[in-house]
Amino acid sequence: MITHLKTISIAFVCVILMGCELYPQDEFEEDYVVESYLVANRTLPQVRISKTVPVDQEYNYRDAAVNDANVEVRLMDQSGEEVEQQFQYGRQSDGVYVTNSPHKVLPQREYQLHVTFSNSDKEVLGTTFVPGDFRSENMSGDTVPYQDPEQVTINTTKSFYPGRQSFFIFTVEALEPEEEDLTPFYADQVDNDAEVNDFYSNSSGIINEENYEENEDGTLTLRLPWLAVAFYEENYIIASAIDDNMYDFYRTQDVQGGGSTLPPGELQNVIYNLEGGIGVFGSMASDTVRVFFSRNQ
Amino acid sequence: MRTFTIVAILLFIPFSHLLAQQTASVSGYVSDSQNGETLIAANVALEGTKKGTSTNTSGYYTITNVQPGAYNLVVSYIGYQSYSQKVSLEPGENLRLDIELTPQGVQMDEIVVESEVDKEEQRNIGVAQVQTELIKEVPSVFEADVFRSVQLLPGVKAASDFSSGLYIRGGSPDQTLILLDRTTVYNPTHFFGFFSTFNPDAVKDVRLYKGGYPAEYGGRLGSVLTIYNKDGNRNEFSGSASVGLLASRFSIEGPFKKGSYMLAVRRSTLEPLLAALRQSQDNIPESFYFLDLNGKVNVDADPNNKFSLAFYSGIDNLLFPFSEDASIKLNYGNQTVSSTWTHIFSNKVFSHFTVTGSRYFNFPSFNIATTPFERSNNIYDFSVKGDIEYHPNDRHSVSTGIWSGIMTLKVQDTFDGEDTFSSRIQSNYLSVYAQDEWAITNQLDLTAGLRLNGFSEGNYWKLAPRLSLEYRPIEEIRLQAAYGRYNQFLTLISNEAFSGFDTWLTTDNGVQPAYGDQYVLGAKTQPWEGYGIDMELYYRTMEDLFDLNPFIPDVAGLDYAELFRFGTGYAYGVELKFERQIGRLTGFMGYTFSVSRRKYPGFNTPVGKPQNARFFPPKYDRKHDVNLVMNYRLSERWKASAVFNYSTGQAYTKPLGRTLAFDYPTESQPLDVLVIGKVNASRLPAYHRLDVGFTRSGSFFGLGDAQWQFQLINVYSRRNIWFYNYDFDENPIEREDVTMLPILPNISYTVNF
Repeated sequence: MITHLKTISIAFVCVILMGCELYPQDEFEEDYVVESYLVANRTLPQVRISKTVPVDQEYNYRDAAVNDANVEVRLMDQSGEEVEQQFQYGRQSDGVYVTNSPHKVLPQREYQLHVTFSNSDKEVLGTTFVPGDFRSENMSGDTVPYQDPEQVTINTTKSFYPGRQSFFIFTVEALEPEEEDLTPFYADQVDNDAEVNDFYSNSSGIINEENYEENEDGTLTLRLPWLAVAFYEENYIIASAIDDNMYDFYRTQDVQGGGSTLPPGELQNVIYNLEGGIGVFGSMASDTVRVFFSRNQ
Repeated sequence: MRTFTIVAILLFIPFSHLLAQQTASVSGYVSDSQNGETLIAANVALEGTKKGTSTNTSGYYTITNVQPGAYNLVVSYIGYQSYSQKVSLEPGENLRLDIELTPQGVQMDEIVVESEVDKEEQRNIGVAQVQTELIKEVPSVFEADVFRSVQLLPGVKAASDFSSGLYIRGGSPDQTLILLDRTTVYNPTHFFGFFSTFNPDAVKDVRLYKGGYPAEYGGRLGSVLTIYNKDGNRNEFSGSASVGLLASRFSIEGPFKKGSYMLAVRRSTLEPLLAALRQSQDNIPESFYFLDLNGKVNVDADPNNKFSLAFYSGIDNLLFPFSEDASIKLNYGNQTVSSTWTHIFSNKVFSHFTVTGSRYFNFPSFNIATTPFERSNNIYDFSVKGDIEYHPNDRHSVSTGIWSGIMTLKVQDTFDGEDTFSSRIQSNYLSVYAQDEWAITNQLDLTAGLRLNGFSEGNYWKLAPRLSLEYRPIEEIRLQAAYGRYNQFLTLISNEAFSGFDTWLTTDNGVQPAYGDQYVLGAKTQPWEGYGIDMELYYRTMEDLFDLNPFIPDVAGLDYAELFRFGTGYAYGVELKFERQIGRLTGFMGYTFSVSRRKYPGFNTPVGKPQNARFFPPKYDRKHDVNLVMNYRLSERWKASAVFNYSTGQAYTKPLGRTLAFDYPTESQPLDVLVIGKVNASRLPAYHRLDVGFTRSGSFFGLGDAQWQFQLINVYSRRNIWFYNYDFDENPIEREDVTMLPILPNISYTVNF
């Protein structure tokens, strides 16, 4: 306590008499940025590697791309202790690394990312646990009138993630997004300076599994809110169960855009769950159903 | 343990004086001669002795243990003529002397206002009183406002021009307990935070306990703001009507056979403006208004018994179709009711017992593309409280009290017709306290108190010792020190920019109540008659803070404790106030140096080091803050007033770098990511603003007094910055200033009848 008061007394004198800054602003430091999203039962995805740029500089991806990386993805054994399989990546284009392996991502298994650089001692490490696979089924038929009182209903089997409920993101993706096919609310947004492309893939944000009713057969039933439908006609409805890394990145990046309980102007860093760099090394399981939204008469 | 022993000893000391020789006492109410309103914290003294006191929150005083003899009893209160009366006290006599003070303006033909500034109570450590006249006279944005006036005091900050929230000594608004006629008010705002709910026509007394507050109060880490509405004119019927740019007010008050009543109503009057705007612009609300009603009825049953019933009801309403196939509706407000029995058991024992009820509600609903989102948020708080003051002798004043209640917080969210979140928390609470004000010598006073706070949700019991000391080496100088432990069982989910969705949550299992210690040192002097110079230093800690975790996107299925981030904090500062209450020019200048910090695990961490959370300043932290408030009486009819504020720019987070997430699978566009260093480590440009106003007094066709007010807010139209917005459509990213109020005129007309 005495030490604390002494520090404060010194701080008082320092600040009042000399104008010391108690909490100085730090400076920009360049970071490696990695980005890769494993999807259960699909082949290994690309890994994108770039660097951050100062906020007041023009962002040019080609300049930010990192082309001297050595990329390896490792499948860990069931215990998560030992490496079961290694996948070497090669550079495909600016900052983009791919593997030739036909390996399909295994659900409920752990993968590690290991990136080193030819021109740097740094390394970037990441780990992801792939959520359990699941299946979705459209219970409402292939064609549904827009804003029909009977909303589109989808049944999904449960996904699995250790230690927590599943976190879903639902996406409604228009197959042929034309401006004349926009639903009224989104058409009004486009009239007010939004772009049609902003809406061709409409995401629900993160929704916890506990929001949904569990059926006797263990499946979950969800009703698609009409707010999610930006285009009439042919759409995909994609359900994705995401891992902790995608969850942490998405929810914290969203807060940077405002709208939370943080006061305007207070930004917090995004949570990355990577060592030696920033970005996302994440995974998910997903399934897709197809629906045609007809115009209401 | 040592603290308990000391407090116990102090509490028992008074009874050792019961066998003292037969002495006399004098007691009674102090009130306004014109309207009979009791006066809180008026100073009462026997001239030529060291015996004196100040009236309590009911306007009652007691001076005990007076040697029989003849005395001159003097009473002073700011804004009133000093009162003096000869009294002769016989051995054993308990003289009941109710006193009426005459307001200064009434009998004075002179323009110059002479005021005896002997504000003993107001200058207690950590205490500040806001004169109701000041609230009405200082220039204000559209409407006189209680909280905007409180924000002028040293140690109190505003978050922005748009917020009436009180940020006191480094604490957020939820750390201040707000009591209206002894009843808790949970969301004291109109227009989503722009104004406070308190109608200046109805208010009698506004008192802020900035810190180190006594054992009588509890439940908040930082401060207490007590507001008492008028009792109503006990002598004659009177009223006022006021028309302003934003709102109009109407109030009446008067006597009846054994008491008085007061009714005040206020309503915003934006409808004509909105209707005009709708002719030429889109996106104008269909409905947008606030309405509030204050009332009080007093029954003075006999000299020793008074009863009062006070109520408040206020609502804000918004209906806004903001886009095609999309609209928002919002209703929110507060309702309070309290009934108090004030009873004088004897000249040495004074009491009041109150039953209170408080309701806060908000019902926001959105409907976008026939997808509804609705929330029903209610707080019901019913309580009983009793306080007893005992004045065994002239050295001790013992007070004790109990406050017990039941609080119900209900939140129900539905999305697209399905319940997505439902919470019903019902908690009993109980507080008891005991306190002794001990005049150890004529120069040294000690106030020791102990408060026990209990909260059934989580079954928490917390002891909170309070201690303050005052030493007067000479008559003009008061040296003060205070310490207190404070607990808080509630937290507020809010947003600085918008208070319409405010939601309170409580402690529970796994969610410990927050606590903090406050240390305050003060030095106060009156170097010359009519002048005061005050200085206070404070240091306070905040532990076990529990705030809603801003990173939680969906609460469904989460344990209650998972909703929160748990943190710690501290604040320290110096406040200086120079006041002049005499002559044509009155007012005060306040300066505050302050530092406030918070730390939450997982927040404000360096990249790659999530365990290394750092302290950071909240946005409202301002190192330097200067306020100048001046009133100048130009002539018998004209008064001028000015308010100037200068303060260090608020803290903000400066983005250092950027990148993009190009491939996030559920997004159609790349996600922009800002890389930041320290949170809130940069400062906005300094804030400064000058407001001026002129008041012209006159007559309304001989039927009553009338006042025109002409005001100019932000005279030189300083575009103070609220925050920066970042436009990612530009490359490089462009920073845009989001500014606060430009120059604004204000005009109002008031008739008093």
